[in-house]
Parts: sequence; structure tokens; C-alpha cells
Amino acid sequence: MNCVEFERVLSGSPEGTHTADQQAHLDSCPACASLVADLELITAKAKLLIASDEPGPSVWNAIEAQLRREGLIRSAERVRVEVPFWQRWRTAWLIPAAAALALVVGLKLYQPPRVGDPNTVAKQTAPAVAPRPVANPVSKEDQQLLSTVASRPPAVRARYRAHLDAANSFIHDAEESARNDPDDIYMQQMLMNAYEQKQLLYDLAIDRSSAPDLGEQ
Amino acid sequence: MEKMRRAGLRGLVAVLALAGMAFAAGETRKQLHFKVGTHPMVSINNPYGPILVKGGPEHEVSVVAVLHSNKVELDQGQSGNRVSIVSHLLPGADATTGIVDYEVTVPVNASLSLHSDTGRIHAEKLHGDLTLEGRSAAVEVWDCANGHVHVKTLDGAVTLTNVENGHIEVISMGGNVVMNAVNGPYVTVNSNTGQILYDGDFGDEGEYDFTSHTGNIEATAPAYASIEVLARSTNGPVQSDFSLEPKHSPFIGKVGSAFHGTLNKAASSVNLFSFSGKIHLKKRQQ
Repeated sequence: MNCVEFERVLSGSPEGTHTADQQAHLDSCPACASLVADLELITAKAKLLIASDEPGPSVWNAIEAQLRREGLIRSAERVRVEVPFWQRWRTAWLIPAAAALALVVGLKLYQPPRVGDPNTVAKQTAPAVAPRPVANPVSKEDQQLLSTVASRPPAVRARYRAHLDAANSFIHDAEESARNDPDDIYMQQMLMNAYEQKQLLYDLAIDRSSAPDLGEQ
Repeated sequence: MEKMRRAGLRGLVAVLALAGMAFAAGETRKQLHFKVGTHPMVSINNPYGPILVKGGPEHEVSVVAVLHSNKVELDQGQSGNRVSIVSHLLPGADATTGIVDYEVTVPVNASLSLHSDTGRIHAEKLHGDLTLEGRSAAVEVWDCANGHVHVKTLDGAVTLTNVENGHIEVISMGGNVVMNAVNGPYVTVNSNTGQILYDGDFGDEGEYDFTSHTGNIEATAPAYASIEVLARSTNGPVQSDFSLEPKHSPFIGKVGSAFHGTLNKAASSVNLFSFSGKIHLKKRQQ
């Protein structure tokens, strides 16, 4: 399962439950894991809004218009917003959660047009969502590192993932160069440095907020 | 006059509000003192918040810690010459409530091991060995000498200023590493995307190895520097402002991607290697 497929089935999944395929993807993709964490947070916060008044139809119409402008919903799907869409939700308190979800997805997918780009209008009306790049595959050993930081905030996990990719990229480049010229001792040193960077990631992934092993004063 | 009075009142309200916020936030100030012998070892692990350490009187380690909430507590211990302090996060602590600010004085010959995920780590006026680790924490070492300085960060910037006769090892994935007046028998920096910036004279008979994957490397030296420089970027440009005495290069490189030469008596060895970063050996303007 890739990111696009995951996002496609995400809205149909009951809160907090995932199939084995979805869970496997979540475990290997920090970006989607981060998205799910955001959604769960929004859902949790939305529960606090149960008692609040539901906004008037003009608010929902404005959101619908905004989503349509962003290209997140298409003309073919044009239906009265209130009835079929909201019926998919089991309880009314999820309404603000849905609005927040739409805004989050919009923010994540929104690409500001470049200054002077003549195709700006065409781009805005282009159909729906561009597919997101599939995340690099994660090796078994890297998975171990990512699981070590799994309890950290999403932004921190994403940084570890980015650094892991950078270290792997360095290893790959240095390995390739060393293979092309096995006598190049400097490139061999570079390769050792690249592995040292990966070691650094493991070192700093360890949670050290535990008590010292010295006697208490 | 009326305006001044109003401004004064506003200031007073702001101060009271800040004080109230601090009180409400449950800040707690703790002072710790440890009697130690010669060459003590001090270890502080503070996930969130700064650790500032300065050289102070002999035989005493003094710690002032400000805990930002009751979601974090101090675990402290001493065994002979070893002092260990941990900011112990309690259930529910996060990057805000788990903050502890440390200000510490240690004997100048103390060895330190400091760790913070996000807070600034600062060591100043010390002659012992320093091991400093931070994830996104900025790490600063000022006016230190004669010790081993080992620094590890992921994103945190590293600044070494006026570090004499050090055995220095810095490794960072994305943090820029800036060195001013740094010298010693062994100075090595290993970076991935971060820049490496050196400004100094490369001392006397030292070995300086700066390596990056994609980060740029810029080394600035005076005309009197006594160095042998080997520089190579596999896929990036390499440039020198000096007219070096050429030496036989141990590798075959494209023109403009490597050079090997000496300046003056070539007392120190300088190796600048990058995979795709730009390398520039600059001459310091007098």
C-alpha cells in the first residue's frame, strides 16, 4: 500500500482502527503516521466541541467553495453538502472534526502558485489531488531505529526519518564511489564517516530521561 | 506626566502578569551543591531546556535548576568524584512542561557529559573533557583548552570559539558547524547537510579533517598559516584563494574539483572533503 492508496481508504476507516495493510504502511511511512496523528488529535479536540452551536449553512457553503477552489473536490461530485456527506459520520460532533480535517488536508496539499506563472489558473482547476511520492522503502535495521522513536512527536519522527534518508544517501554515494575506485582511501574514509552518521542517529534516538545509577544524595 | 504614569502602570501590570504566569505555571527553583575532589566528572541529562556550564571554584559543583512544572523532577546522585543529574520526566510531561533550565559552575578541570534534546548547551572556560550531545539543541563551546571536545547533534548548530589545544570531534547531520580560533592536535568535523565554517590559523602540527556529504566547507586562514591542504569534492566545486605550492595529488580529480598543496612550512595537515558540497579555502583579509 502506498501513500495515495492509504489516504484513499483513510476516511472510510473507523476511528483508531486500521487493517494490517494500513498498519504496515503507517509503520513504514512517517508522513502518513503524522497525518493520522494529526487527525486523531483533531478528533479528540472536536469531542470537546459537542456542546457548541453548529455553524450556519453559510459557513459550510464557504468551506465547500474553498475546497472546490483548491481542487480538493470536483464538479462531478457536486452534491448538496449537508445530506450524503455528513451521513457518513456517526455522530454530529464529528462535523467540526470533518471541517478541520478538510483544512488540514488542504494545507498539506496546497502548493502556492509561483510568481508570474502563466499556468496558475489552469493548475488550480486541474482535477483533484496530485499523487504524493511514495516514501523510500525502510530496511529492517532502519525500521528498528524508527520504532525506537515511534513515541516521539510526529515532527521529531519525521526529522529522524529525513536524517536516516540523508545518512543512507551518503552511504550509497560513498559506496558507489569506493566501488568504482577501490584504491581511493579517501573515499573509504568518507564511507566510514557516512556509517558514523548512521551510528549517531542510533545514539541520539535513545531516550535518556531515566534516573541515574549513582546513589541518591 | 499622565502618559508616563499610564506607561508605568502598564509596565507594572505586565510584570505582575508575568509573575502570575510563572507562579501559575508552577516554576520551582532548586539549588544543589556537591563537594568534589580533583578532576570531577559531571553528567547532566536534560531532555528539554538549556544547560549552561562555566568554570568556577575548585572542589565544588553548584547547580541552579529552574523546573517549569511539576511534570518533571530532578534525580541527582554522587559517587565520589562523579556527579549525575537527570531531569526525570513524569507521565504527561511534554516539551513545554518538561523544561528545566540549568546554570552550573564546575571546577575548570572538570569533565562534562551534557545531553539535551532541544535546549541550548553551553560550556565555557573549562579545561576538562567535554562530551556534548543535542538533537536539535545548539551547542556552544567558548574559551576552553587542553581537553577532548566531543560534540554530537542532529540539527543543532555547533559553535566552537577560542578552543585551544583541543582534541576535537564534531559530528552533526544538519547543523552548521562554526569554528573560530580553534586549534589542536586533532580537529575533525563530520557533517551531512550542514555547513562547516572554520576561521583560524590551524595551529601548529595538527590534523584537521572536515568532511561533508552535501554541506559546503569554508575554511579561512591567514597568510601566515603553515598548512598542507588536500581538498576534494566529488561532485562540487573546489576553490582556493591561496597560491599553494602544488603537491602530487593521491587521486585523480576533475579540474576545479580538487587541489593539493602547501603553504609556508606545512606544519598542519588540512583535509577538506565533500561529496557534493562546495569547498572554499579563503585567505583572511588583513
